[in-house]
Amino acid sequence: MKLLRYKIIDSTNFLAKKIAKESREKAWTIVFAEQQKTGYGKDKRNWYSPRGGLYFSVVLPRTGIEDLQTLTILTAFIIAKVIKENFNLEPLIKLPNDIYIGKKKVAGVLTETIVSSNVKSSIIGIGINTNIKDFPKDLKNIATSLEIVLDKKVDNEKILKQIIEGLKQQEGLKQQKGLKQQLKIINE
Amino acid sequence: MKFKLQFKDKEYEIEISETEQGETKIKVNKKEFIFEGEKPKEKSLSSVKSFPKKDFSEKAITAPISGVISEIFVKERAQVKKGEKLILLSAMKMENEIVSDYDGKIKEILVKKNQKVKSGETLLIIK
Repeated sequence: MKLLRYKIIDSTNFLAKKIAKESREKAWTIVFAEQQKTGYGKDKRNWYSPRGGLYFSVVLPRTGIEDLQTLTILTAFIIAKVIKENFNLEPLIKLPNDIYIGKKKVAGVLTETIVSSNVKSSIIGIGINTNIKDFPKDLKNIATSLEIVLDKKVDNEKILKQIIEGLKQQEGLKQQKGLKQQLKIINE
Repeated sequence: MKFKLQFKDKEYEIEISETEQGETKIKVNKKEFIFEGEKPKEKSLSSVKSFPKKDFSEKAITAPISGVISEIFVKERAQVKKGEKLILLSAMKMENEIVSDYDGKIKEILVKKNQKVKSGETLLIIK
């Protein structure tokens, strides 16, 4: 596992995709940035990414497209579990993969693949509004952060580590158990 | 031995047995083919009027998963190279860039932007 750390980057997904294309050996490379200039979500919609938030993308190991879809959904559960256990909050998962606190979005997941007759490469990008004090006008009513909800700063590195551990566990579990069992384990 | 075989959308009932003369009899739906040694008997084959024609130079690019066509990067009659991106297919929150497995010319695009597609559905044809 290799962690690439950046103060500022265009987009962690963008760089992770580039790395994933390079070689199969790059699985579990993590691109982590303190700030994104052009962070994006679904349909290339802008993801507000100022300093303070947690932004990272993971190059995934070679696997089938259905497994990637399962992993994308499970990642939302992993993020919700980490938020719930660390901060005693009740995050909601808006399937497939947005996480809300109350009625406001706090985190999002975007998986991107390159596929022809089989999956050539895939990455998963995660954005969590952690230490963001304030949002621009157009986002104020739809987005929140852990700092706003808790009224204190959180440890981005600790959250990153816990989510990666959760993702790696899924890889191990996938060999043995079905989706329902995996969801049960996540919810326990 | 009886079994069913699904090929594309059609189901075939297949029965393999041995005749009293020791020949192999293969029944596909209601058509019988009798094989003696390695060569099929001409008599049984003559009842088959024609075989479906398939142009093997054409390659179908299919949807790897059900989803919605977010973007089409190519146009009909355009030349594409292996690895070139053709279509962006969104499934749940997974964005799938479908790339070409072949060098060739886009013969036909069978989908439109924002169209829902099922896994296995043909998206475009390369020749």
